[in-house]
Order: sequence, then structure tokens, then C-alpha cells
Amino acid sequence: HTLTHTPADAVLRGTADLDDLLGKDLGALRDIVINANPAQPPLSLLVLHALLCQRFQVLSSVHVHSSVSTVPAPLLSCLGPRHTHSYARHRFQLGFTLIWKDVSKLQMKFSTQNMCPIEGEGNVARFLYRLLGAEPRDPVSATLMDGWVDTALFQLAEGGSKERAAVLRALNAALGRSPWLLGQEFSLADIVSACCVLQTGQTSSAPANVQRWLKSCQNLGYFSCVDPLLQ
Amino acid sequence: MALNLTFNSSNPPLGALLTAEHVKGSVNLSVEEGKDTMLHVSDQVQFSDVNSITRYLARVAPALGLYGSNMMEQTEVDHWLEFSARRLCGQSDLSSALADLDKALALRTFLVGRSVTLADLCIWAALKGNGESQAKPSSHPHLCRWFSFLSSQVPFSSVGSKWASKVSASKAASVEKDK
Repeated sequence: HTLTHTPADAVLRGTADLDDLLGKDLGALRDIVINANPAQPPLSLLVLHALLCQRFQVLSSVHVHSSVSTVPAPLLSCLGPRHTHSYARHRFQLGFTLIWKDVSKLQMKFSTQNMCPIEGEGNVARFLYRLLGAEPRDPVSATLMDGWVDTALFQLAEGGSKERAAVLRALNAALGRSPWLLGQEFSLADIVSACCVLQTGQTSSAPANVQRWLKSCQNLGYFSCVDPLLQ
Repeated sequence: MALNLTFNSSNPPLGALLTAEHVKGSVNLSVEEGKDTMLHVSDQVQFSDVNSITRYLARVAPALGLYGSNMMEQTEVDHWLEFSARRLCGQSDLSSALADLDKALALRTFLVGRSVTLADLCIWAALKGNGESQAKPSSHPHLCRWFSFLSSQVPFSSVGSKWASKVSASKAASVEKDK
């Protein structure tokens, strides 16, 4: 049995208006360009991309930089089917370009304003989540969310076996108290943590509450885009 | 309810202490020495890592703008928080990190936006704790200008003079222990 979970359309119900969030649109397409290493596909960003596509008209494309020789097919189609070139850029609200490149750390550049290049999957995930208008307003929830994002990426995805086991225990304890990591609401903490558990291949050996929660995450339908990358 | 920040004086968390100094006029916060670094929010919620402590303090004092004034600035602050924790703290070779900082500060007074943010507090604290000596005015002019500008301001000057030597001493002690 899975936990009763919030219906998918009620999750992430923040109102997102790009003009409110980013300042007035000056006519140019708002372009998100991400350089990521194909050895560490940023699964959480693919989930967030799928969520952005539900909310906005997103012009998505995947490229391969010359620093990378070959890229497995699932990584080339990870943002969905390629748009035909007849689409005019002005019909879209957001550009989302993923470049597979030999970078030591994931980087994002955002076209509008004078924003510095942003390093780290967690920080890009936070940015995309803010575009959805879904960041918790309560300081405790927002800070716990940031903490889970860092824990997942630095201790689960990058950590040794002892660190991983400790994080799985912490996840299991938190998920014994509530259906999602922040309580009753699905959040970025669940997205990034679930992606890191899936990526480290610990799904079958994970403790009971973690397994149940992974099923609940997958039942939301947002994670189907990462399945082809887990083979 | 009052917040309580405890810290171990033999290894003081400069970024958290600096943030505490910035918010103390807006937030009911007590700071005292204890066994570990910990921000006690309630019996259910405590934060123990420095980035969580500084994020929480910035969020409960939103008028100070320590987390930036819009979502682009918030994201830049996140970038520099991770930069301070992952590329400055506990690293022996800081050359590429210092070059990145110098470039970022070339045309800027503050790292993010037009006023002081957590980015300045945490990067300054990380440099004060371990990397100050590696930044040279000849090769990092912008970084050195920014660093000495902040160092001359309260509360950077007071936190620095009170605690920075303890951080260096604790680093030296741990190096000694590792030998």
C-alpha cells in the first residue's frame, strides 16, 4: 500500500507569473542554459523541467559540447521530443537548453539580468523551483528544504557508504512522521532526495518508509522522465 | 519565541556569528558558548550546519535583505553559500576559487545586488578563517579591495578581532593532530 498522497494537480499550487518573479519581459526569450556532465546526469533538473513544461511554454533543446565524444541516446532525448524548427521563439515563455559538457561541476547561465553563473545542481534546482512559485514561505520549512537538498546531493549522491546509510536512516525517520519530507506538502526536498536515492541504485535496499515514499513520488507522475536514465 | 545560538568557542563558526550580529536588532536571539554549533528554534527544530543557520536567520529578518531582494539574487546567494562551504572551507589550494571571486568582484561593491548579503558574510568568514593569507593584492586586486572594505565595517571588524584567531588556532591544532 502506498500512502494516500495529495492529488498531482494540488501539488505545487503556487502561482507563478514570470513577470512578477523576474521583472518585466523585455521581448527576449528568457533562456536557461545548463552545462552538465553526462557522467552525472542531473535527474532532479529533469523532473523540474517536466514541471516547468506543465506551467509554461518551454522551448527545450539538448546539445553535446565538443569536450564530450559520445552521449547515450537517453541523455539526448531526456527533455522530450525535439521541437520542430518552424516554431518561432516568441511563442515560448522560457528557453531550456541542456548541454552535455565535460564540466567538473554543473553550471547554469540565465540570460536576463546580470545574474552570475550558478554552480551546483542543488542551486539550479532551487532556482527552477522558485520559477514554479512553490518555495515555502515559512522560514523553518524553507530552511529544512534547503538542508535536505544539500544532504541529498553531498552526502547521498557524493558520500561514502557510511554517509549514505546515515542519510537513508534520516530519510526513513522523517518519512515515518509524515508522508513527505517537509510534512503534508510535496516539495523540492522530495524531488532532489528521491532522485539521489534512485541514482545511487539503493531503491531495493532502502528502508520501508523510504520505499513507500519513493512509490508515492513516482505515483505523482513527475519522475517518469528519469526512468530511461536509470537503466 | 527567542532563538538561541550556541557555539564552541574553540572552533567558532564565523559566518553564523556574523549573521547573528547582523540580525540581532531585528530578531530576538541570544548567543552563547556551548558544546556544539546549534541554532535552537524550538524543541522540534534545531539547525546545526552553518548554511542552514545563516539561511534561517536571514529569512526571519527579511527586511535586512540578507537573502537578496529578488529570486535571481536569492539564487546568487545560494551559489556563494555553496561556494564558501565547498570551495573555500577545508581546501588547501584556493587558487581557482580566489580567481573566480576576484573576477566576480571586478565591478562590484558587494557579491550580490547593491547591499550586503549572506554571500558577503559567508565568503568573508571562510576567507577570514582559512584563506585570507592566500589572496594577494597583486593577483586578486578586486577581492582584496572587497575584503578590506568589509573588514573595516562593524560587525565584520568586531567578529573578526574577537574570533578569527581562534579559528586559525583550531585549524593549526587539527593540522598538528593529523601529523
